[in-house]
Amino acid sequence: MTLVSEIAISVLLVIGGVFGLVGSYGLLKLPDTMSRLHAPTKASTLGIGGVLLASILHFALIEQKYTVEEILVTIFLFITAPISTHFLAKAWLHRNARPEDLPETGTDCGWIGYDLAEPKEAEGTESD
Amino acid sequence: MSLALIAALPFLGALLPGLMIRGGRDAAAWVTGAVSALALLLLMTHAPAVFRGEIVQTRIDWLPTLGLNVTFFLDGLGFLFAGLILGIGLLIILYARFYLSKDDPMGQFYAYLLLFQGAMVGIVLSDNVLLLLVFWELTSLSSFLLIGYWKHLPEGRQGARMALAVTGMGGLAMIAGMLILGDIVGSYDLTVILQNRAIIQASPLYLPALLLILLGAFTKSAQFPFHFWLPHAMAAPTPVSAYLHSATMVKAGLFLMARLWPVLSGTPEWFYIVATTGLITMLVGAKIALFKDDLKALLAFSTVSHLGLITFLLGLGTRIGAVAAVFHILNHATFKAALFMTAGIVDHSAHTRDIGRLGGLRSLMPVTFTIALIAALSMAGIPPLNGFLSKEMMLEEAAHTVWAGSAWFLPVLATIGALFSAAYSFRYIAHVFLGPKRTDYPHEPHDPGIGLWVAPAFLTVLVVLIGAFPALIAGPLVAITSGAVTGGALPDYTLKLWHGVTPALFMSLIAVVGGAAILALHRPLARLWNITPRPEAKAIFDALVGGLARAALAFTDRLHNGALSRYLAVMALVTTLAGFAAFFSGTHAPGLRVTLPLSPVPVLGWILLMAASLALVVYYHQRLLALVLVGVVGLIVSIGFVYLSAPDLALTQISVEVVSVLLMLLALNFLPRDTARDSPPLRRLRDLVIAGAAGLGTGSLIYAIMTRDFSTISDFHVANALPGAGGHNIVNVIIVDFRAFDTYGEIIVLGIAALVIYALTEALLGGPAGRRLAEWKRAEAVAGDRHPLLLVVVGRLMLPIVLVVGIDLFLRGHNAPGGGFIAGLVVAIALLLQYMASGFAWAEQRRRYNYHGMIGFGILLATLTGLGSWIAGVPFLTSSFGYFRIPPFEKFELATAMILDLGVFLTVVGAVMLALWSLSRLARRTGETLNTEPMDVRLTKPQPEPEGE
Repeated sequence: MTLVSEIAISVLLVIGGVFGLVGSYGLLKLPDTMSRLHAPTKASTLGIGGVLLASILHFALIEQKYTVEEILVTIFLFITAPISTHFLAKAWLHRNARPEDLPETGTDCGWIGYDLAEPKEAEGTESD
Repeated sequence: MSLALIAALPFLGALLPGLMIRGGRDAAAWVTGAVSALALLLLMTHAPAVFRGEIVQTRIDWLPTLGLNVTFFLDGLGFLFAGLILGIGLLIILYARFYLSKDDPMGQFYAYLLLFQGAMVGIVLSDNVLLLLVFWELTSLSSFLLIGYWKHLPEGRQGARMALAVTGMGGLAMIAGMLILGDIVGSYDLTVILQNRAIIQASPLYLPALLLILLGAFTKSAQFPFHFWLPHAMAAPTPVSAYLHSATMVKAGLFLMARLWPVLSGTPEWFYIVATTGLITMLVGAKIALFKDDLKALLAFSTVSHLGLITFLLGLGTRIGAVAAVFHILNHATFKAALFMTAGIVDHSAHTRDIGRLGGLRSLMPVTFTIALIAALSMAGIPPLNGFLSKEMMLEEAAHTVWAGSAWFLPVLATIGALFSAAYSFRYIAHVFLGPKRTDYPHEPHDPGIGLWVAPAFLTVLVVLIGAFPALIAGPLVAITSGAVTGGALPDYTLKLWHGVTPALFMSLIAVVGGAAILALHRPLARLWNITPRPEAKAIFDALVGGLARAALAFTDRLHNGALSRYLAVMALVTTLAGFAAFFSGTHAPGLRVTLPLSPVPVLGWILLMAASLALVVYYHQRLLALVLVGVVGLIVSIGFVYLSAPDLALTQISVEVVSVLLMLLALNFLPRDTARDSPPLRRLRDLVIAGAAGLGTGSLIYAIMTRDFSTISDFHVANALPGAGGHNIVNVIIVDFRAFDTYGEIIVLGIAALVIYALTEALLGGPAGRRLAEWKRAEAVAGDRHPLLLVVVGRLMLPIVLVVGIDLFLRGHNAPGGGFIAGLVVAIALLLQYMASGFAWAEQRRRYNYHGMIGFGILLATLTGLGSWIAGVPFLTSSFGYFRIPPFEKFELATAMILDLGVFLTVVGAVMLALWSLSRLARRTGETLNTEPMDVRLTKPQPEPEGE
């Protein structure tokens, strides 16, 4: 039992570590900002997720304690990571992209950082 | 108690005129008069005891360990002075009511006047010399306010500044003198000091103490060579001049000399310093007064002269001299106050105080003329008025005194002084009131209403009565006062007009005749005076003060010229040098404590810390990047705290870090993107050396400490946190209990800092910076979608969670990591997030509580917690705690310290939010628009317009 638990925990730790490493490597290697955004999101979600799962298992199986902190950490991580990524993307768009270079949105409103200085006819249709 | 009340009454009463002025000028005058009258009444209740020769005392312990106690005593001398201060004060209040014009803020005037009155009464009643010094400085400050009352007049401001500089400087010298005196005797109580004449005069410190105390007394009483401030103080309204410069403030120096007369006088030093200074002052003042054309300047210099006369009498060191001094103090107060008031009436009525433009007022202003005539004749020393009596006593004394082996030196000079004195008194009458009527007065003169002349008239009645019946009216008062001054048996003297044919009578005769002769020759003499070069006191004073100010400024500028780098360099250099000096002057052995093994995680943190710090040095040009790097440093430090098992510190550090980075980010918005310029390479090299030495020095010091075993107060805290304060969290217990008073002070500082940020932005927006902000162009185009949906939604989601976390941190603070400070920061971060997400104006409209109020309430709460301890009979902010149990919950602890912690919490939240608000005000000034919606994307479909386009 202990062996199985330890193997499971180790596997999760290794998975977390690998994603962390891949994320960091991608941050260095990918060519431009928008592509580079993808790398740390992998590291922060899957990488840290793996470590957190390992932690839950460790406490539950080895120390016989049930903890919720890791779940809270996960929730906060999943909430905050998209926001920071969102802002990074927005900042890049604002600084680098011209509206005419962007593809059509396919709806009657334009891209969010350009068209919505005043919400005149925003329909509020959320695409996500 | 009653004596303390007499001194306290004017101070308490000073609050009233400002309030009552809303009820009109009469109301203000009445309430001020009532305060003074009440104090005078209280004083008079002690009169029977004082006249029986008793000493009334009041003692309240204040700071007994410092020897500073609120002790008052009342003897004859104090009674005379307190009576003069309060009695003439009443007359001045009446006079000022009619003197000041409608445009003068009268409530302010009366408030200042009462402050001054309280300070003066405090001086003359104090038994403790330290308390006396406090009141002494208070008179300097309050007279500054009074002299500079007409703030719009540059002369008034300059005169006030000069008076403050001179008397304040003298006061500082006197503090030193009094401390020496107290040190010699071993007590700061005047009653004790006065018993120890022999010890004081035998002490080698007698002379320094004497010089320092006399410096204080001479500056206050305008003795040569410090006499120059008094005429410049004449820029004050006349009631102030009449009060301060006839009866009270300038007499404070005389009072002090009289008070300390029993212990200081009687030595050759005293005689030669005091009597000579007095004599010179008398002559110089009288001579200048003779040639002044401004009525008030004439009276000012005549006051200088008469103060010199009294100083001279005190300086003689004989008992009869002291009696004459006391008598002349009383007489001078009566006729000089009356004369100042008549000068004010003339000014008020003819709209000029220039003697050259006056004359012939006798028939135009008969009442004023009568008053001025009697008072001026008294000043000239004409029988049967009171001035004659005391001047005769002075001349008689001078005739019998040998100065440096010369028997004629003093009598001759005293006679010349009296002669000048008679001359300027005659001139005051002849050149203002006598002579032909003129046609070119600036304003047609006429007698004023009774309100203005009744006060001086009352004083001249006294002048006449004292002159006619000296023994009856003034005899007992002079007797008890002289008894108090001399501190023993009175000499044989009688107060009467006719002493027979004495040397003094001849001297008087010479003075009066000579005075009349000088008046006749005044025109050619004045021409001579005007062409003689003489030092201009104001120019010398200004040059002196200017030079000192420049020297101070030059010195200060070298230390800190406003550039932060200079200030830091000086600070670091001095500290490092002090450290090196200490190191090289002591012995040193390496620490023996076994060091812990180096593990990879701290090394990694250390490398990151170093890298971030070094990167900051390289990239500080880019402010945004620099801010990020600062954030990195802060985070690693927080992690370091966690690693070293200091969760409280870590929590505090990380929340402070978040708040400060957010606020700095907002502030950064208004700064240029790059730093302006670099220092030249050599200076940077110098700064590098200084910074490196300071850093390495600090590092070595910490290393030296950590390689040794040492004990700190922590052991006490660890041992006492639970039994003494009922908390498991030692850090929190230190904050809210062991060092609660520190915390109390710190939250006040925090609150003040926040208010200062607010005030600074307020001032900034009003000034040129505000205009620059209004014209400010952004470096980049404004991004659309300033309030993104994603952030707004998540921010709302987080708010209740974070608030719960904050409450949890607060409640558990006493026993687990947390506490009011951290909770406050966490809650502030949650609120900051709302402001960031939805924009300031939107969030602001949803705010219920004022941040100023929140800070104030927090501090108030902390204060009330502290005061609660007093009710329980224990020292301020002592906490108490107990364990309670409400079924079905576990047993829990409640401590009064938690209320203090709540105060901390509220202050922190208020301070952070006020700083944010101030910054957002800047943003608003740059033209940032207001949003009415929480986010830029509207979630509901807009209602179609009835008439669609």
